[in-house]
Amino acid sequence: MISLYNYKQDLKEQGIIFSFSGPMSHDIIEGIGSAIRIKISEGENGDKNIALKVFSIFVEQVENVINYSVEKDSIDSDMGFGIVVVGKKDDIYFISGGNKIPNEKVEKLETMLSNLIAMDKEELKAFYKERRKAAKEGDSKGAGIGFIEMARKSTKPIEYNFIPVDDEYSFFTIKISI
Amino acid sequence: MENLYIEATKSSPEIDFNKDTNTLSVKGESYPENTAQFYEPVFEWLESYLEELEDAQVNVNMELIYFNSSSSKALMDIFDTLEEASEDGKNIVVNWIYDEDNDAALEYGEEFAEDMESLTFNLIEK
Repeated sequence: MISLYNYKQDLKEQGIIFSFSGPMSHDIIEGIGSAIRIKISEGENGDKNIALKVFSIFVEQVENVINYSVEKDSIDSDMGFGIVVVGKKDDIYFISGGNKIPNEKVEKLETMLSNLIAMDKEELKAFYKERRKAAKEGDSKGAGIGFIEMARKSTKPIEYNFIPVDDEYSFFTIKISI
Repeated sequence: MENLYIEATKSSPEIDFNKDTNTLSVKGESYPENTAQFYEPVFEWLESYLEELEDAQVNVNMELIYFNSSSSKALMDIFDTLEEASEDGKNIVVNWIYDEDNDAALEYGEEFAEDMESLTFNLIEK
């Protein structure tokens, strides 16, 4: 049988504290989310505010996987397949999430994220308030606001990439630093 | 109409809307599985209540430790509804209650307050 030791060592080398890959549901947010909050807020260097920030990004990323991953058991399933990791490197926490999306959605997402990256704090705040006031659009379950929220909390510009999987799909990864 | 009480869960706040004392409280954390579904009865109750409301003062106590971005939108809709009622002459006071060591709760409160014109929006440290 395979040993998970090398896999675990890889995660450790990259500073990954939590890693979850598979079908995600709301229960994951509550369960793993609580563990993340406790782990970061307690102990000698524990910080409640950082813990809450990391948790809030984790929530938005898991919700994105649940709502937007094309890998689902059925179209109206409340679970989506994807991966979310939380780690710490050089004293900076990072939260990274990924899932498969249709190729036709890549351009729109790319445009939205590059727009957010180009904005300064005040512009992000104004855009956040504008989107919060606006009605929901199309299939977006408020995700526009989720990305703005992540951009506002991130201490570095949002990092992201798209890896082509096949003719139909790409794999989207996003990374936020706290 | 009846009072509205919804018990808190790990990811949804306690809703305690009392028409007899004119005190509406939201307390806890808000990242429900389905935000629209969770807040639907809250909006329905609020709209009927505001229709019947006369000149009594209403205290809205919001004490949220954490809420996700879709709840933020729902909260904005609640405040917009209260703001409209306030413009119509209703006497409504919102108390945004935050813990002194929760920086985000204070910031969110300040940002909601900035968007309100006629609605009284107090920031209260616990």
